[in-house]
Amino acid sequence: MPAKLNIRPLVSRRIIFIALALILLFTAFTATQQIAQAKRSVSANPELSPIHPNFPMLDENGVNVLESGGAVSTIQTCGACHDAEFITEHSFHASVGLNDFTAAGQTSSGRAWDTSPGLFGKWNPIAYRYLSPVGDERIDLTTPMWLETFGARHVGGGPAVYARNGELLTSLKVDANNPETAAIDPQTGELIAWDWNESGVVEMNCFLCHTANPNADTRATAIHEGNFRWANTATLVGSGIVEQSGEDFVWNAEAFNAEGELSADFAIIQDPTNENCGLCHGLVHDNVEDPLTLIGCTPDRWSTITTGQIISPQKLADSGLNLANKESLNRPWDIHAERLLNCTDCHYSLNNPLYFQESASTQPEHLLFDPRRLEIGAYLEKPLHQFARGDSAQGTIDPQLKDTMRSCDSCHSVENTHDWLPYKDRHMSAISCESCHIPELYSSSNMQHDWTVVQVDGNPVKVCRGVEGDSDTMRSLIVGYEPVLLPRTDVDGHISLAPYNMISTWFWVYGDPPRPVIQSDLEAAYLEDGEYHPGVMLRFDSNNDGQIDSAELVIDTPEKEQFIRDRLTGLGLGNPRIVAEIQPYSISHDVAAGDWALSDCSACHGAESRITQPIQLAAYLPGGVLPEFVIDTNTMLSGEITTHEDGSLYYQPQTSESNLYVLGHNSVGWVDLAGSLIFIGVLLGIVAHGGLRFYASLRHPHMAKTEKIYMYGVYERLWHWLQTFTIVLLLFTGLVIHKPDTFGIFAFRGVVLVHNVLAAILVTNAALSLFYHLASGEIRQYLPRPSGFFDQAITQTKFYMQGIFQGAEHPFEKTTRKKLNPLQQVTYFGILNVLLPLQIITGALMWGAQRWPNLAERLGGLLFLGPFHSLIAWLFAAFIVMHVYLTTTGHTPMAGIKAMIMGWDDVEVHTPSEEES
Amino acid sequence: MKNFKLIWLLGLAITLALIIVPIVIFTSNGEKQTSNNPWDNVPVHVPHTDHTDIIEGPFETGADVTKACLECHEDAAFQVMQTSHWTWESQPVDVPWRDGPVTIGKKNQINNFCIGTQGNQQKCMTCHIGYGWEDENYDFADPSNVDCLACHADMNLYAKADYGYPALGVDLLAAAQSVRNPGRDNCGACHFDGGGGNGVKHGELDEHLYYPDGNLDVHMGALDFLCTDCHQTQEHDILGKLVADNYQIPADDQVQCTNCHDSQLHADERINAHIQTVACQTCHIPTIGVMDPTKVYWDWSTAGLGDQPDDHLTYLKIKGSFVYEQNFTPAYTWFNGDLSYRYILGDTIDPSQPTVLDQPAGDIQDSNALIFPFKIHIAKQPYDTVNNLLLQPLTAREDGFWTTFDWASALQLGADISGLNYSGEYGFAETWMYWPVTHTVRPAADALTCDNCHGPDGRMDWQALGYYGDPIDWGGRFRSNSYQP
Repeated sequence: MPAKLNIRPLVSRRIIFIALALILLFTAFTATQQIAQAKRSVSANPELSPIHPNFPMLDENGVNVLESGGAVSTIQTCGACHDAEFITEHSFHASVGLNDFTAAGQTSSGRAWDTSPGLFGKWNPIAYRYLSPVGDERIDLTTPMWLETFGARHVGGGPAVYARNGELLTSLKVDANNPETAAIDPQTGELIAWDWNESGVVEMNCFLCHTANPNADTRATAIHEGNFRWANTATLVGSGIVEQSGEDFVWNAEAFNAEGELSADFAIIQDPTNENCGLCHGLVHDNVEDPLTLIGCTPDRWSTITTGQIISPQKLADSGLNLANKESLNRPWDIHAERLLNCTDCHYSLNNPLYFQESASTQPEHLLFDPRRLEIGAYLEKPLHQFARGDSAQGTIDPQLKDTMRSCDSCHSVENTHDWLPYKDRHMSAISCESCHIPELYSSSNMQHDWTVVQVDGNPVKVCRGVEGDSDTMRSLIVGYEPVLLPRTDVDGHISLAPYNMISTWFWVYGDPPRPVIQSDLEAAYLEDGEYHPGVMLRFDSNNDGQIDSAELVIDTPEKEQFIRDRLTGLGLGNPRIVAEIQPYSISHDVAAGDWALSDCSACHGAESRITQPIQLAAYLPGGVLPEFVIDTNTMLSGEITTHEDGSLYYQPQTSESNLYVLGHNSVGWVDLAGSLIFIGVLLGIVAHGGLRFYASLRHPHMAKTEKIYMYGVYERLWHWLQTFTIVLLLFTGLVIHKPDTFGIFAFRGVVLVHNVLAAILVTNAALSLFYHLASGEIRQYLPRPSGFFDQAITQTKFYMQGIFQGAEHPFEKTTRKKLNPLQQVTYFGILNVLLPLQIITGALMWGAQRWPNLAERLGGLLFLGPFHSLIAWLFAAFIVMHVYLTTTGHTPMAGIKAMIMGWDDVEVHTPSEEES
Repeated sequence: MKNFKLIWLLGLAITLALIIVPIVIFTSNGEKQTSNNPWDNVPVHVPHTDHTDIIEGPFETGADVTKACLECHEDAAFQVMQTSHWTWESQPVDVPWRDGPVTIGKKNQINNFCIGTQGNQQKCMTCHIGYGWEDENYDFADPSNVDCLACHADMNLYAKADYGYPALGVDLLAAAQSVRNPGRDNCGACHFDGGGGNGVKHGELDEHLYYPDGNLDVHMGALDFLCTDCHQTQEHDILGKLVADNYQIPADDQVQCTNCHDSQLHADERINAHIQTVACQTCHIPTIGVMDPTKVYWDWSTAGLGDQPDDHLTYLKIKGSFVYEQNFTPAYTWFNGDLSYRYILGDTIDPSQPTVLDQPAGDIQDSNALIFPFKIHIAKQPYDTVNNLLLQPLTAREDGFWTTFDWASALQLGADISGLNYSGEYGFAETWMYWPVTHTVRPAADALTCDNCHGPDGRMDWQALGYYGDPIDWGGRFRSNSYQP
């Protein structure tokens, strides 16, 4: 459209606009000055824009409403200065999917009846009603009916003004067979024609977001009654500008000045406040002094229904909620609300020069800040009504705007605040800020909707989480819930854990391609003249009290299911069947400050880990049907769905799906099994061998002639014992890290630190000793000489198997030149050249998952390194036991150990044998 | 061999050192010793000597008791006589709007509650720390007039009455034998009931502080403080002075939160940054009159009419009409600890404007001034419509207003005593008094948060304080790019 604009008027208009803005700014400034002098003036309200000029209210024909008495047209009124066409065209809030409208079943949700990625065409099982795809025989909602049903949560414009082909709805031929110009007559159930010119359309409603106290209720009523033309006018009822008398709306001339413009006291236009956003998005309570109240599971508005998020600066303890442990909950609902951030501070208009900042990925490297901004006048004329958004799970909405928002680290410095956290980068990359900073939602939220049944009032059976007792009454106790952590893929493909709620829904579908059974059919199956059908009463009223309460209203037997199926079939629905789906809802509000965030290592690093904490999906399974996850989320839902004994359903996250190996929580079963078997095997072996030796020594005392030799130098001994010390402690600390719950007295964090320090000592010691062995040539001691090695090895084995029991001499003489026998040589060669380096490398890489994440990742990541490190540790443990035992096989049991301590060894004096010639 | 052993031990020691030293270095990193322990400045309560067996009667008068006390505590009375508890006036000070030095205090100045003590000693001196201040001829030099029992007796055994004499029926021997360090009951007897009743005068001092809940006063409730733990006393000179009865008070003579607490103790940098502009009390005493209502408005002009029934909270014939408020937000203004003006008897007023009897000193430009909470008490009190000065009526005497209900004579008698230049024509003028709010410090959890002051619903009138607007938007007064004047 901008191409059509003539440049000249645009420029002059802009100059006038700027001049006007400057004059107003000046007047406003002087006015503020004067107010400042006045004693106790009205307290300053930064939301109000004193800069906004007076303006006439125009109807759809551009005539002042005072003259015409007609409904206000926001497009005409606001569009006089602001580019209304630009605004409506660049607003997902208005289009809600109309721009991406497709044939049924073509959207990313994969649902056969979805026609767009937005409110206009994407089914939401909580609301249940849906826009029937063209050609459907049984119609749930036509366009006018959709607007009546969902219009209260739609800002207007988009499908409330335009047809799917882009024409104006008012220009469509009125045709009862076109779902865009028809509605179902509630009396007959037949489609009748809908004349948009008569009802009017719902233009994008500027007042809903830009006035302080929009009358959302009156507006919703007007829309619900099909009185679309007056919906925007109804928003102003109560402001003094317009009054409602009966069905009609009457403009109040007092609110207008002599020129017919809305006078200054009434023309108060503001930036959207949290309360404006909250009208549709969730419960907002901006007053810190007035206690917030909410009863049981009757949370208000969308985000609060789906996740329990409440935007309020109030401390939980000061609220009016019946909240468990309230007294101790000295934190606000949302720290950002407490710190006076507004929704629009993060979800800003994408061309707002105040907020816009080019993302680091596209900004040239030499620039930290690009001061070139859209000129303020241009912005005020053409403010994009596309708002920055994050990475929510219900992610198909407005997909092109995904992740346009600033993220936590755009404002917060992790560097300066998380020094207490070891492996900071690793933690930050594996888990989102929200995972720790939204540890719990202190309100109720929906968990399960059972649309396989319907109550007399047309509602499904609903089960909530986070609330105990009679869930919709004063007597209920809100206990809150801990969200489940799911791996979330950002736009750049990075995966980290983030908190979610999950809502499961059971419902009937019929036909092929499938459609949800429309609500009127569902009601027809269950109800008769506003009461339950006798057949339903017979089967569902299990306590025979003549009432079906919500606990009884459940399809839990094949008989009930068959009965309802027959009823639906009787209505003409083909192959009705129960299906169920699970929708995750991401949680990114209700953030807590550091002292309320998760910061205890053991919260995740333990058998019971926050990372894999399950979440309940449902209290029961209607029709025994297992739900499936919706496919259009940015989460990976490959955890397990488990059924508990009481029939409830849980989701159990798995760490492997997110490529996580949480030390202290994760272990690979077979590694620990194999490792412990080897360890126990060795232990049993030496017990048996030692027992036999003891027995044999009684019969064949071994009395060899010995001589004293200075066997081990000071350094060799020092090196050996330091290595002993570190390895034993490493094994122990490693075990504590591996199974922290078994060793609860040790602080996980401290043990990790000790383990790392010990490892550094071990590596240093090993490197120094390697240097010593290489430089001194002592390394040869460890290198088996190839010639005759196997014979020698066999001889030594034979000695351990037989000779040792018979008091035979050791087959090889121990000398300072040759301290190790062939078996020792090969064992130590293996230990020192294979196991030790591997353990050092895997350990260093695990430590380095922080420093060199890519390298660690390339070598298998923690998922591989962790279990491998554990396995080698088991082998080391087994080796140490074996090694200690074999030191007792000298001429006396303690001889070897003594020698390693003192340096002097009593060595058997051999008669030379042929092997050693 | 011996050598080897030594080397081996040395090696072991080095090895152990190699292991232990880095661990110690690593682990000891985060732990910083807290340098500022608030308990360091709280006095230890030592048991007081039991005087039951020491003091022998009989005592005829209060003065007899004092003489007995002075036998051992020779200097005590003379110490008390140096303090304003005794003199009821400040040291002479120079004020810019007067020529000679003046003293300020209950003795010679007025407030906007019961107005003034001169001539009204019968009732007022119930709270004087001496016996028998009946008129202007009182002997301030006689140590036996000092009432030791008022502060040291168990208040279950002692009470004061007209002119400060012991109440009828008090067993002076029992009271004298009960003496100990001053408790809450001693201070509270006068200070909790200031203005003529429980909680009337101060918004944050009332009888709930005898046994306060921890959420009402964290020090006296949760931590069981006595008044004297903060109002520490040396030689009977008690720390802390009421600014309404002074003109300027050196900071050293005041009880400051920072006497015990570190001024930068908040974990949050933003909150610490508030310290240079906001008094501790502002956030930590969010409301006043919490448990008992306190008087905020007193209209003397309706007194004596008797056209409505007496009710403690709305109207008394002897006093006029009142408004009490409970659990309300204090008023906030800049305050550097001093007054910029204290009405001195004889000062002229502009009856068309409210007269502020004690104007807290400080404004946004005064870097020593902080935003401080006050209870504002507004009154309509008698003034001379010809000479434009506030009048001090005689009330409590038998020929005073409370008996005669005759303003003309009460004001004339009052003027005769106080020496005011009274024309004989009177009216009623509006006066304001600022009462600093500094008791009933709540637990940290109950302190104000951002929203209480900032944002559209905030409690601060930023423009009245001298800001262009909310400093969260405009910047604080110390910010380098601040827009403040």
